[in-house]
Order: sequence, then C-alpha cells, then structure tokens
Amino acid sequence: MTLTVALSKGKLLAGATDLFRRAGVPFPEEPGRRLVVDHEGLRFLFVKDADVPTYVEYGVADCGIAGRDVLLEAGSDVYEPLDLGFGRCRLVVARPRNAQADPRSSALRVATKYPRVATSYFLERGVSVEVVRLAGSVELAPGLGLSDCIVDVVETGGTLEANGLEAVEDVAPSSARFIVNRASYHAHREAVAALMGRLRAAVQ
Amino acid sequence: MNGPSHRLVQVPRGVQCFVGDEALRRRAIEDLTTGVFQGWDYEEIIPPLFDYADVFSTPGLAAQTYSFLDRDGNLLALRPDFTSLLAKIAAGRLAHRAAPIRLFYSGEVLRYQPPRAGRHNELFQMGLEHLGGESMAADAEAVAVAVECLDALGVRDGVVALGHVAVFNALADAAGVDPAARGALRERVDAKDASGVADVLAGGAAAEAVRKALIGLTSLAGDVSILDRAAQTVRAVPAAVAAVAELRALVDGLAAAGLGRRIAVDLGDVRALDYYTGLVFRIFAPGLGFEVGSGGRYDGLLARFGRPLPAVGFMLGLDRIALLLERQGAAPAPALAAAEVVTSLAAACEKRRAGTRVRLTSGERTR
Repeated sequence: MTLTVALSKGKLLAGATDLFRRAGVPFPEEPGRRLVVDHEGLRFLFVKDADVPTYVEYGVADCGIAGRDVLLEAGSDVYEPLDLGFGRCRLVVARPRNAQADPRSSALRVATKYPRVATSYFLERGVSVEVVRLAGSVELAPGLGLSDCIVDVVETGGTLEANGLEAVEDVAPSSARFIVNRASYHAHREAVAALMGRLRAAVQ
Repeated sequence: MNGPSHRLVQVPRGVQCFVGDEALRRRAIEDLTTGVFQGWDYEEIIPPLFDYADVFSTPGLAAQTYSFLDRDGNLLALRPDFTSLLAKIAAGRLAHRAAPIRLFYSGEVLRYQPPRAGRHNELFQMGLEHLGGESMAADAEAVAVAVECLDALGVRDGVVALGHVAVFNALADAAGVDPAARGALRERVDAKDASGVADVLAGGAAAEAVRKALIGLTSLAGDVSILDRAAQTVRAVPAAVAAVAELRALVDGLAAAGLGRRIAVDLGDVRALDYYTGLVFRIFAPGLGFEVGSGGRYDGLLARFGRPLPAVGFMLGLDRIALLLERQGAAPAPALAAAEVVTSLAAACEKRRAGTRVRLTSGERTR
C-alpha cells in the first residue's frame, strides 16, 4: 500500500522536511521542480499551501500537512489528528495604531486573504462586514484607505509594526497539522496509523 | 425584454446525466443491490417525489431542501432523503401493519448543497429501513445486509466503521459544557483533533477523567480491538460504558456470523448526532476519498408521525458506488448482446417476438 502525502511548497516545507527526517520517514532529498515524487514506498505531492486540504479532502492524497489557518479558511472535511507544533502563528484582526475603536457605524471594511474566516468572525459577533479579498500585502490596505482593518496571520508582528498596524483581537491560533482523508483513515488504516505513529513520536 | 441568462444547452449546477456504459453500470448496481435487499425479505416502497415540507425536518437537511408553494399555498418540498418519507408512510398508510416492517427504496433525492468533494444536488440513493423489532438483532441485520451489498457489488476491501452516539453524548453531558462549547467540542471530535478538544475544555469544569475521555475519543478509531481500550478510556461515565458494551455485543455477533473482517470501529463519529440515537456506521473502501454509504439507529423519528417505533436503516450512494467501482478497476457492467440489423418493420417485430435484439434500419446513413 503506497500512501500519498500532500505537502505545501511554501512556508511549511522546511518544517515538514525536518519533521519527516526526525521521524525517520523517507523523504525525497531534492524534489526540485518535480511535483510528484515517488520515494521509498511513499508518494509525495508538492502543491500550493491552500490546495493541500483540497487534495486530501478528495482523497487524491491520503494525508498531508497544512496550517490550521488554511484549514479554517478552506473549511475542508478532513481529519486533523496531529498538531505538529511548527509553523506557529496567530490569525488576528489588526488596525492602524491610534485608530478609533469603532470607526464607522455602517459595515466594517476588512481586507484579508481569509475571507471566510473574516466574514464569520465578524458576523458571529454581530458586526456587519464588507470583506475585501486580497492575494497578498494585506498590511497595505488600511494605510491606503482600502479598508478599516485587516485579518491576517502574524508570527512576530514585525510586518504589522512596519506598516503602522497593531493586532487588536485574536481570531485563532494556528500551527501545522497532519491531516488525513476520512476514507483513507479507515480504508488504509494500517499504513496511515504507522505513519501517524512515527510523526507523533517525533513531535513529542 | 431580457433574454435568457444561459444558453439552451447549458446545464444547471449540480445535475448529472448518464449515457451508454455509465447508465448500464448504474442499472447493474441498482439491480444487484435490490437483489440483496429482496434476499433479506425487504419490501420495495416507491414513495412520492415531493411531500409537505414539514415531513422533512431532519436536522441539517432543512437548509438543503428545495421547497415550493402549491396552488393552495401549502409549502411542499422535493424529497431530500427517504427515511422521513418511509417513517411517515409506516405511521400512516401502513399503520395497520404489525412491526417489524422491512422496507427498501431506490431513487433520487434532491438537495441544494454547495459544490464540494463528491456531492451533487441530485443523488441516487438505495437503502433500507428496519422499523420495530428487537434493536440489537435489527442493528446486526442492517450491518450484515450492508456488508453483503459490498460483496455483491464486487467492492474490494470495503470497511464498515461502527460508532455509537451515546459515547460522545454521555461524555459531553458529564463534561457539563454550555451549548456553544458543546458544538465546538463536537466539531473538534469530528476532526479527530485531540489538541483542539483539549483547547475547548481548557479552564472548564469538566472532571479530569471526563476531559481525558473526550480527548481520547479522537483516537478511538480502528479495528475492533479499539473497543477494549474504549471501555477503559470512558470508564468514568456509565452511559458511555454501556454504549461501548452495546457495540461490543454487536461486533461479537457480526464476527460470529463471519463478517468480522469487514468491521471497524470509530467512536469519534459524531456527524449525525441530532438524528441518530444509537448505532451509527459509515462505509468506506480504498479508491474513493469519501464514504459510499452510511446508516444508524433513529428511535425518535417515527414518534413524530404518531407511531413510536425503534428503527435502524442505511443507504448506499449509487453515484459514489459507481465511481468507486470504476476507480477499483472493476469489470464494466456486462454488455448487451449485439443487435441484429433488420431492414423491415415486419422482420423486426418477428425477431422481437423471439426475444432477439434488433436494430431497424432503412439503409439510412448515420450522421
């Protein structure tokens, strides 16, 4: 039974590589530009961050590693049995320093790469919201008048500070998660349990 | 005047159409499954395609139901599932019939749902309902029929994962969390996210043993030996212990009938808690990333229609079974015999009387 593992080519790759090495799980040396790599009984897919949950939800990959932030945004129907402990960051609401607490009486305008998370966060708190979806450099938006605030991930807060913003509310903590397809969990129980066991041992 | 917003050949989202070999395979799947249901003495029921909307009040389905007003102003709905309809019929039209009543169905249900993995708006379901009778025996029978369906359909390495809603419910009751936290707890148990469960319970009033049991629930899935560990994990909460014991008896009965290798356990299955009251199960097989069927015990539903009867049932999704068989490389449905070409209607009718497949041509060219 060859398990297929979906990994992000992005910021979680270094942590995932390190984890697999520590766990003694075979890991391809240099994937280079190859997107599918068969390596010692495992098949690795190297895909975009936000696509990892999709590959796993559809069962194209049996398991994978994705940030909790990405999982929250994707709303994917997958198991998340292991918190891998790396890639720690926080999803926060940030706004310009010295901004008024309640800048407008009508809908709050929020710029974000996480429209789903941002929308439900504010609506659940009874705040009407207009979400402006951006693909990156979200920190620019309030300063240029595109939005009142942003919802984004922060690690150290350095980028926020450099752009005159401060985190005012925590939306959710995030870290890398080992995720498993719901059918693979049962239909490939032994292989999934073996891989999960080795990763768990390496995390603790 | 505005023109139509779509081209005439455009299809609405979420519908499908099957032609030729695909249709043959679907027909074969339906016939094989129906044969198994009939083999266990279940009786076919062909319920209406729509009914009053209040019949379909299954939690979670209401938002997915296509409803409309009839000329008299009644709110009607296209059936989003069969179980409610069958319960209504058992309590109405079949009210005189003594329990247990064994019924099966095969047909489309319609649901509005956002496009996602393996979901369509028009689904073809085949399933059975066992109404009344002794619960443990009925549960075992339902699982056994499901296993036979997998075998009859040629599904390789299918797994039926059994759970029991009382395990989570009893632990959540014992944890004494408020409704919002209970929802969050259930969502994290459903994701098998141990650290997420711990976060929800952090700072709460739950006793340490209950807290540990709820966290443990996220890893109580696997082969049936899990039940031994489960009994230990939940030992602080008697109702959860009883539910595990009930599952143990069911598993032992299935093993004694030679079905053990198809059976697994998943005590973290909390998907359909609002609906089911005891056993729950889901059917998986290698090759498809989502379940191909599911079922469970719903002792509360028939009382709504005025005939309180315990009940268990399950359904298989024909669309998913077809996809699974294709992925598993199952042989295609047997082809029909080649049609004999005849050129006159009289000759064609004669051949048909003898049962021969014919293709009547008048020498026309195909185009």
